[in-house]
Amino acid sequence: MKNILQRYRWKELGLFIIPFMILLLGMMQLPLARYYVSQINTNQQSIPFSTSILPGISSLIPIIGLIVALALVNLLFSIFYPKADQILLPLVGLMSGIGVLMATRLQAVPQVRDPILGTRQLVWVIIGLFICIVTLFGLRNMGWLRRYKYTWAALGILLVGLTLFNALRVKNFNSPTHDQLNFGPLNLQPSELLKIFIVIFFAAYLNENIDAIAESNFLLGPFRLPLFGQVGPFRLPPLRQLGPLALMLALSLVLFLGIRELGLALLIYGIFLAMLYLGSGKLSYIFVSLLAFFALGFIGYKLFGYVQARFAAVSIDVVNWQNWGPATVTFAQGQAYQIVQGLIALSSGGILGTGLGLGHAGQFVPVIQSDMIFTQIGEELGLAGLFAILSLYLLIIYRGYRIAIEASDGFNQLLAAGLTSIFAIQALVIIAGNMKFIPLTGLPLPFLSYGGSSIIANYIIVGILLRISHINAMEREGLA
Amino acid sequence: MSLDVFLLILRLLLIVLLYLFLMQVVIAITRDLRKAAPAGEAGAGSAAPVLGHLVVVDSGPSQIAPGTRFELLPQTSIGRGPTNTIQIPENFISGEHARIWFKNGSWYVQDAGSTNGTYLNRQPARDALQARIGDIIQVGFIYFKLAQ
Repeated sequence: MKNILQRYRWKELGLFIIPFMILLLGMMQLPLARYYVSQINTNQQSIPFSTSILPGISSLIPIIGLIVALALVNLLFSIFYPKADQILLPLVGLMSGIGVLMATRLQAVPQVRDPILGTRQLVWVIIGLFICIVTLFGLRNMGWLRRYKYTWAALGILLVGLTLFNALRVKNFNSPTHDQLNFGPLNLQPSELLKIFIVIFFAAYLNENIDAIAESNFLLGPFRLPLFGQVGPFRLPPLRQLGPLALMLALSLVLFLGIRELGLALLIYGIFLAMLYLGSGKLSYIFVSLLAFFALGFIGYKLFGYVQARFAAVSIDVVNWQNWGPATVTFAQGQAYQIVQGLIALSSGGILGTGLGLGHAGQFVPVIQSDMIFTQIGEELGLAGLFAILSLYLLIIYRGYRIAIEASDGFNQLLAAGLTSIFAIQALVIIAGNMKFIPLTGLPLPFLSYGGSSIIANYIIVGILLRISHINAMEREGLA
Repeated sequence: MSLDVFLLILRLLLIVLLYLFLMQVVIAITRDLRKAAPAGEAGAGSAAPVLGHLVVVDSGPSQIAPGTRFELLPQTSIGRGPTNTIQIPENFISGEHARIWFKNGSWYVQDAGSTNGTYLNRQPARDALQARIGDIIQVGFIYFKLAQ
């Protein structure tokens, strides 16, 4: 007993206190805000506040459930993995909690058409936490991930193939669900698992071939002059080191052209570039790959109407809406509707926001619960809240790279860095899309967006990161 | 007090708490870094104990003279890269080639994902192998003997 108290994750528990307070406060605010809105529609200017309108404990139950689940995870990790990173989980827990709050807030909006959105999100988060624990316990041997790297790659390609098949069968690329797989009641988004498989494959592959890749000059391709002091008369870098390069390009291209998943193509290519650079430290690779990316993007832009429409949405000038011509007005009410409404929601939030439950974004922004959740947060928590959310992402990413730096094994290092890069690139792509910096893509915002596949995939990533930090700590202890 | 005011207070409180949490995390991280830094400096500054040596038996195609002795620390990495404890600037040595460490009274050898492999007594050391004093460790094309 004393032993457990000694190695209890007190730091993690301490870091959980404020997030728990934030979540309880937010949950309490939601019924109050609903009451306020209902009163202001019928009643006078000023509504008196009395303790009788405070929501009862029963309305707090969902969040209390989440808090209990997080506390249980804290206890479980204290018993089995006391040395795993203690800062990551509070950050991730707060993010998921805010996601649950947002989903609960949006379920009251009739336009969202899901009266139990918050409950669903809560259930997914709890399943996600469970999967995180399973990942941590299941990954007893990291070599297992490394050894079966081609299996992971094959699974990833299979997922893309299934999605492609589904997309061809549905034939309606404008439907938002053409990239989902339906197994009974479950709508799976295979792209979320695909990104993890790809990172594992890359980490294993790059770790094995890093010498050949780092030595060869990409610009010369597979041709290499014989160098003195070498073992054989000359050595050609094996063609297989160029294999994954081509494979990745092909995969992104399939996603880009076949399934019209601009966001996923961006994400996978971004991960690929990040890991290639982390592994080889060569800028020439990045340069050439970026050139290829822009060339492909340009071809895509010329060929596909949907890419052009998305770029046209970026060029729309919302601030000078009074000077819009009729064509722009039609465009803003049609193809660019989502992004224009999102920007209006962001601007109506101001610096401090309208307050949780008091915004109107849910009624106007389509698909706000997944693609556009950032604008919802921006309206209700304001610029101050958005900065806090961005800082939370920064801290999560910092922690992930920190775990990567501390890893002694090359594979673990690349794996942790690659998985963290997923969070970084995904958050960047979707937030920039919501704010009209780049074309909007249908990626979920990690931890905040509604969606089971996304939450589970993110918690698998957290589980792997915690496992690697546990291994790091064990190695440190072994040295001491 | 009207409900407006109460909701305003709640809203401000939420944002203040968010930033308080961020501050708490940053403080925890800085404390972590402070704790890690002295440990790292101590590890690098105070000379780690030399627990054994690697003696070159056959230097293969390299320029190293046979008989050269390399010091072995509790954790030693061999490779061409600048981060290794023992750096061997030869083309057939990988950037991170092999790791040798001392734990619970015995030596262990493991390949670090090299191209040309690491062998202990001609056995490939893909996984960690236990080594004894006098064993032959082959790193790329260089043969070492593990010595006191």
